[in-house]
Amino acid sequence: MTGQIPVQMSIARGLRWSRENLFNSRGNSLLTISALLVAAVLGFVVLRFVLFDANWGLVAINRKLFFVGSYPADEAYRIWIVVFFGAALASLTYGVWVGHLRPYLLTIGIVAVIILTFGLGLEFDIQDFEFTNTIESGGQTTVVTGIDRQLIQSGGWAPGWLYALSFGLAVPYGETWLLLAGVFAVLAGAAFVGRELARWRESPILRQAFGAAWVLLIPLVVVLQIGISTLHWESVLLDFLVFAIGGIFSFVIGLFLALGRFSPYRAIRIASVGYIETVRAAPLLVWLLFATFLQDELGPIGAAFSSIDLVFRVMFVFAFFGGAYIAEVVRGGLQSIPRGQFEAADAIGLNATQMYAFIILPQAIKAVIPAIIGRFIALWKDTALLAAISLVNTLEKAKKVLAGQSDIAEGAFFEVYLIVALIYWVVSYLLSRLGSAAESRLGETPRQTR
Amino acid sequence: MSHQLGEEIVRLEGVVKRFGDFTALNGVDVSIREREVVVIIGPSGSGKSTLLRTINQLERHDEGRIVVDGTELTDDARTLTKIRTETGMVFQSFNLFPHLTVLRNITLAPQKVRHMPQREAEDLARGLLERVGIPEQAEKFPGQLSGGQQQRVAIARALAMNPKVMMFDEPTSALDPEMINEVLRAMEELSESGMTMICVTHEMGFARNVADRVIFMDEGEIVEMGTAEQFFNNPRHRRTKLFLDQILTH
Repeated sequence: MTGQIPVQMSIARGLRWSRENLFNSRGNSLLTISALLVAAVLGFVVLRFVLFDANWGLVAINRKLFFVGSYPADEAYRIWIVVFFGAALASLTYGVWVGHLRPYLLTIGIVAVIILTFGLGLEFDIQDFEFTNTIESGGQTTVVTGIDRQLIQSGGWAPGWLYALSFGLAVPYGETWLLLAGVFAVLAGAAFVGRELARWRESPILRQAFGAAWVLLIPLVVVLQIGISTLHWESVLLDFLVFAIGGIFSFVIGLFLALGRFSPYRAIRIASVGYIETVRAAPLLVWLLFATFLQDELGPIGAAFSSIDLVFRVMFVFAFFGGAYIAEVVRGGLQSIPRGQFEAADAIGLNATQMYAFIILPQAIKAVIPAIIGRFIALWKDTALLAAISLVNTLEKAKKVLAGQSDIAEGAFFEVYLIVALIYWVVSYLLSRLGSAAESRLGETPRQTR
Repeated sequence: MSHQLGEEIVRLEGVVKRFGDFTALNGVDVSIREREVVVIIGPSGSGKSTLLRTINQLERHDEGRIVVDGTELTDDARTLTKIRTETGMVFQSFNLFPHLTVLRNITLAPQKVRHMPQREAEDLARGLLERVGIPEQAEKFPGQLSGGQQQRVAIARALAMNPKVMMFDEPTSALDPEMINEVLRAMEELSESGMTMICVTHEMGFARNVADRVIFMDEGEIVEMGTAEQFFNNPRHRRTKLFLDQILTH
């Protein structure tokens, strides 16, 4: 455990390491120093902008728009329910199957302290900057209302990433601060409960319960939207739902397509290959445009498809497009499984379904986790394309905010797009952590020995 | 060696297997009785492994009949499952499932194919591990074991389905020399318990001491078969003599 080594020792070790690896020759020293210089200059320039020069007022005031768009504020409790359920489930799962709680809790603690302390200062709204002046001239009284531009710009003290991290504050409902504290408490608490449950992790009942809970999360997300027009699904909320639901189904579709390529039936093999080669061969944007503008050109099927809500059609396209890529990734995994595994499964009498479910797929998927995570990250960032079919994703919302409020925040483009980039980064980073966790969990089992 | 042989349990009649232009088995007839230990030897490419693999239908035979425990092998899925649960197979390269613990490797088939309750399957598995001499390795993963230990797990895994015939396809060829004996000992013990065994192996000592019958194959045909004594001391066929000379001189 590196954490238990005395500080002096780890410093000495660090110095020795850097002497051996970074300054072991004249050329290497030169490279190290110039790289450090470049990093320092870049870091300084970015930090100076983020902390001192930037005008974060526009982001601060519009933070709700960035996250949930025009979702009705009275209904925001639905989002909170999903967030609570998702947080509890994710943390429980982490506790049961990953276990190492220390770094996990430390990360949650740091994020919680930052958001909850600074968050208090973030709870202001556009009304705070409205002013009303009464002008009296010639016996007539005129009331002038407006927004205090000066005040907003001075309100730009808070670094932009705080806004990007304070999703909770951007979904105001009642005592937002308390709700947010609750989410952090649930995250930490569920991880502990999960660790206690870990001793039963081989039990089929626990596995089935977890499976059911995760499966339940999908309809829960959708049911919570009932009665609210998808026109109000915007920004991060829209992007995340399209990505999450499209992504989950793309995985399922990909799995079946990959297995289809190995089917004993020629027709299924041809159909799978045909699907993959066709879908991959056109850009996602083209498929999105088809899904948007298709009417009855394809007869009743097309008509039925076009009668589905656009957002659900888009989710469908994400699933069906992503599935083609996942299929190829999983195929690579399947091909890496030695023939002996198939033969051994046959020899002990497993049928084809059991063989794939218990022997082949677990190994194949484990082998390609990094590539699958790569596909998911790509799919998440592909939500940026939704702007092209007139859905208001995060990027589009940012543009609208910039265009609509140019009077109060001229030239705040860089600030706004920096936040958009940060939002993409946070989810991408969480996905890559998820991949590492899954790998280290499955990594307990040494790879095939032959 | 000294056990009473029972009824016929495996019968091959004119079995032919081709891979493209290559004929791996060229009309093989053989009959094996319960509790019999048969060792098959022969040069590489002679069809020994293919013969084993047709008996549990890892390879489908092209011509002839194969009858195992009264059931003739056909394409029918139910027949296939029945045959595979009645025959255990041990491979040269172990083929354990690397993502499952030793215990799960053994309990998987009884649980999934025979629907045995988990508790019962685990008791069975621990008993089998005891029998092959590695009860303390139950919770480890295959990659953490030595080759000899892995092969003994593979034997336990095959035994878990309570097969009527055990087949060994060069079970010691992939092992370091110091691990060969532990596997051979486990096999010998199995033969003493009256298991019907068909072994493809290059371990002549095992063949001499344990086999009831030795079969010599070459070019897809059975060239010669007889008791171990007869086979090693008085080989009749020229090809057999040549082969024995080659492997016994060094």
